[in-house]
Amino acid sequence: MPDLLAAEPEDQRNKIAEALTHFLIAQSPRKFQRVAIEEKEASAGKALFHSVGCVTCHSPRDDAGKELVREGVVELGHLPAKYSLASLGDFLLQPARIRPSGRMPDMKLTPPEARAVASYLIGKADAKVVALEPQEKLVAIGKEHFQRLNCAACHKVGDIPAAKPVGSLEGADATRGCLAVMPNKAPRFHLSADQIKAIRAALAKKAEQPSDKERLAVTLTTLNCIACHKRDDYGGVTEELNEHFRSSEKELGDEGRIPPPLTLVGAKLQRVTMKKVLFDGDGVRPYMATRMPQFGEANLRHLPELFAKLDAVKPIDFSLPKALGAGANQNQKERDREKEMRAAGRELVGDQGLNCLACHSFNGKTPNKAGIDLMTTTERLQPAWFYHFLREPSTFRPRTVMPSSWPGGQAVLKKVLNGDTDRQIEAIWYYLSLGTSAPEPSGIRTVETLLTVTDATRTYRGRSSVAGYRGIAVGFPDKLNYAFNAETGTLTALWKGDFVRVNRGGQGSGGFNPAGKFVQLAQDLSFCDLADEKAAWPLRPVMTKEAPVNPDPLYPKNRGYQFKGYAMDDASIPTFMYLSGDIDIEDRSVGKIADKKSQLVRTFTFNSPKDQTLWFRALTGKVETESKQQFKTAGLGLSIPAVPTLLRPTTTDSKSSELLLKFEIPKGKSTRTLTYEILP
Amino acid sequence: MKSFHNSCARLLLLAACALSPSIADAEDVGGRWGTEEREREFYPIVNVPIPKDMVIESGAYCLLPDGRMAVGTRHGEIYILSGIDEKRPTPTYHLYATGLDEIFGLAYKDGAFYVTQSCELTRVTDTKRDGKANRFETISDAWGYANYHEYAFGSKFDKDGSLHVALGLSNSYDSFALFRGFVMKVTPDCKTKALASGLRSPGGIGHNEHGALFYIESQGPWNCSCSLKAVAPGSFHGHPASFNWYKQAPEMGPVPITPKSGTRIVTEKERVKQLTPYAVVFPYIRMGRSITGFTLDMTKGKFGPFEDQMFLGDYTQSVIMRATTEKVNGVWQGACYPFREGLSTGILNVEFTQGGNLLCGGTNRGWPVRGIKPFALERIDWSGKMPFEIKRVTIEPTGFKIAFTKPVEATTGNDPKSYQLSTFTHPYHGAYGGPEIEQTKPVVESVKLAADGMSAMLVLDKLTRGHVHEFDLGALRSRDKDELLHRNAYYTVNEIPAAK
Repeated sequence: MPDLLAAEPEDQRNKIAEALTHFLIAQSPRKFQRVAIEEKEASAGKALFHSVGCVTCHSPRDDAGKELVREGVVELGHLPAKYSLASLGDFLLQPARIRPSGRMPDMKLTPPEARAVASYLIGKADAKVVALEPQEKLVAIGKEHFQRLNCAACHKVGDIPAAKPVGSLEGADATRGCLAVMPNKAPRFHLSADQIKAIRAALAKKAEQPSDKERLAVTLTTLNCIACHKRDDYGGVTEELNEHFRSSEKELGDEGRIPPPLTLVGAKLQRVTMKKVLFDGDGVRPYMATRMPQFGEANLRHLPELFAKLDAVKPIDFSLPKALGAGANQNQKERDREKEMRAAGRELVGDQGLNCLACHSFNGKTPNKAGIDLMTTTERLQPAWFYHFLREPSTFRPRTVMPSSWPGGQAVLKKVLNGDTDRQIEAIWYYLSLGTSAPEPSGIRTVETLLTVTDATRTYRGRSSVAGYRGIAVGFPDKLNYAFNAETGTLTALWKGDFVRVNRGGQGSGGFNPAGKFVQLAQDLSFCDLADEKAAWPLRPVMTKEAPVNPDPLYPKNRGYQFKGYAMDDASIPTFMYLSGDIDIEDRSVGKIADKKSQLVRTFTFNSPKDQTLWFRALTGKVETESKQQFKTAGLGLSIPAVPTLLRPTTTDSKSSELLLKFEIPKGKSTRTLTYEILP
Repeated sequence: MKSFHNSCARLLLLAACALSPSIADAEDVGGRWGTEEREREFYPIVNVPIPKDMVIESGAYCLLPDGRMAVGTRHGEIYILSGIDEKRPTPTYHLYATGLDEIFGLAYKDGAFYVTQSCELTRVTDTKRDGKANRFETISDAWGYANYHEYAFGSKFDKDGSLHVALGLSNSYDSFALFRGFVMKVTPDCKTKALASGLRSPGGIGHNEHGALFYIESQGPWNCSCSLKAVAPGSFHGHPASFNWYKQAPEMGPVPITPKSGTRIVTEKERVKQLTPYAVVFPYIRMGRSITGFTLDMTKGKFGPFEDQMFLGDYTQSVIMRATTEKVNGVWQGACYPFREGLSTGILNVEFTQGGNLLCGGTNRGWPVRGIKPFALERIDWSGKMPFEIKRVTIEPTGFKIAFTKPVEATTGNDPKSYQLSTFTHPYHGAYGGPEIEQTKPVVESVKLAADGMSAMLVLDKLTRGHVHEFDLGALRSRDKDELLHRNAYYTVNEIPAAK
């Protein structure tokens, strides 16, 4: 920004500056406001400022906020005087809106992060600053100056056009204008004698097209890519700034915290991947605290092509088999080769092979360290680069933690593919290219997800061997749990301890199993209107492998049962609602552990349009009678209300009996309560 | 979800057929269109970040009246997202409901969610108004659910306030549990009726711009490619396994005649009168392998030039496609078009946001998927730049009308050689998938480019009923010298309109 007022009469300069200020302030839709900074935000901002990459262009600061470096940085000491919290936050969020050149890049801050960094940079600024109220007269004068001084040559305000260039630089007198020793009316850039000399010399020379290499170097330097990335013999993190590059995955060493080198990057990344990284903010290193900034597509559009033109590694030709599916391969030899390569790739990647999983994630799973997800490999990288990198990682990255599994070109693992280096690398590439269509490597443990209950009761629906496909598990904070089969309206299992394990790996649909030892009850209908005491209890249809079709698909519905759902109370305890015939039933169980007894108290609330009898099948199996109102089966005790009971052999197994309770349901509302106790 | 079935089908095939690939075999998920790099200029993909330690395997979306987006997951949660349309979104995720069973349908009316989960259609409400669902009422469980493979997909409300649930078979071949392979209609008074049979493995169900109901079918037995199918009351969609349950559904009328395997659907539908031909065939691999949820562009131009068109996701290939439909001689048919590749995970569903962007998401677990993230939410935005695309293909008595998104330049546009056509049909058979057969190469006898360059009328020597007509218009140039972003379109001809 040159001094444009130096040529103005001395007594006018301040007035012009003031008028310009009024004009510029008047352009802003938002009024300046000084608000107090939240200490917590400022401290979060400090951490961000020193980790996401700001300090590669701006100076790190000491605890008092003093900038520690003066040379070669863009100083920020003036920010408190220039910005409000809101305006700086907005700027940080989308710098390109104000400065389209991209030299101040978008650091991918979220709105709260942008606010935090702004809070830190503004700090405890003078609260007494008052906003300037633009005065109409001065605004008008300021506008005239703005046009007269041709500010629009560099700054865009509304649609004020820039003046035509004063002339061509070619053949211009390099001793005049702003290059004059004593510039007259020209803008003053305060150039040193050496700088003037250099510019004059450059102008005197015939303009040359820079080479691709130079063009690239200019871009990487202009945008300061080289503060983080090394390319060939230039750039890279300086000793001074090294400590500000951090990682959440320390074990990965420098790979985890220092941005990757750009040497040969044009041969490394596929072009669409490079575009995603440069233009769309994509990335594969979530553990790296320093962020890859976004400079704006317009400023980098030439880069992918330039990298591609300049960078090359020795081409290789992977001979990959054709996978199945799309035009399945009918050639047996080729099919065998496919199988062999897939198996070899899987073995090499897994923990029984080269154990890439020691450092890398695989499809979002991180068995050890969270290094770059291997699933991204064939999407991101070019095969030839991958091949050469795997053979000799340290020639690409000195001191890398990535081991050489083929030192001197010799495979460490001899048993796979006869220890053939090229074929092993090819097999890894092939295996990774198959993505989720190939089985996971050894070392990725797919464990069932344990769901736990904390302070509120938890209800979980899913298929289960203990409660049928329409199963519902309920867990209480007291670590007592039960399962309910909603297809038949039956409480089918009880257990103590942890809640459920669910299968969410692979094709798992989230079906559940009790997390502990459970007591299983029958899964047939619980309520039924029996014709008489001799009538058999209606049993649910049984499907087998040999006869898989449901022979009685309307078994519950034809016997009057219809599930109606459930509602939670304030403690998230569900009450199941269903119909048996014309009786509305609410079924609420509360589990608790008291006096070392694990009890589930189950209360039925009936709402009947008339007086009627309803049978309830309470227990099946080896039922023992302890008293008129106390019964027991294996592992479970049951207390029942004072109602008539019927204990009779089941129709299917003479050694097994069923305990039926006869509920005389009056018209209107009534309740009955049972208590289950899990026996030690 | 064709791929869901593939593995399962293989299990069954394994015993019967030694030549069949084993389950452990790897599959190539198929070729790419190779258009990703150019697509991003017009339709950039924006990642919608998911908070660390949160798993969002989305299966269904619903835009709420206040502009927030509800997301139903395979883990059985409903999250409500705010701020999804921001340029760089950092949405808040509000957990509204948990404990449901694989959500593949989400609709909203009068303060209540209508959730299609595997076990039932449920009305979910927050009666305490504390932002957490506390009431889960069964609206319909009128179908069986007893086998590994039985997924259920739910629609949005139709104009009469009804919802539709598409029920997959018990595996690729059988219907073991009640109404597996049916579309069920649930009316506003909570009555459930069987509406259509013959489904194999649906991946989504919804309406076109005229309110007509369609579901998406997966490649497999009786289906050589994925296809959109028009659902009319009593219609039969090709897979006879569901004939088991007509006695429980008198509203369906008599059981259809059993179709003959190895025929063509265009002839077999004359014999089996309820048999409804595929409205839009998506040539297998070239246009998806397991197409899932779809939605309709009603963004009034916010998403670009494709108003009133269907957008469909594919699980295996992580791509989004378009489709258009029209009714000819009382039968639905239409075309499909490539739209966007390069999404990060297997797409299970799509929905337009309030801002007119297309939300896409799903998971890559369990089945072959091109996308490399285990789960993701992404937004496709329109950059505002007009892509040069085949906008819509419609049929004419002697050929096709092709509409474009930008004026076509006259030299290429008036040259019949710029319009390469070929056709094929599929066998209609019970085997798993099948080839493209009986290829023909129609001759473009004349072409007339409209004066504005926005459409072309093609006259062909022949239109073939029952064939997919494949267009390759790669030679066309727009007036501003652009190449087509996607050169192909695929029109399924069931009927040919009479000359006016």
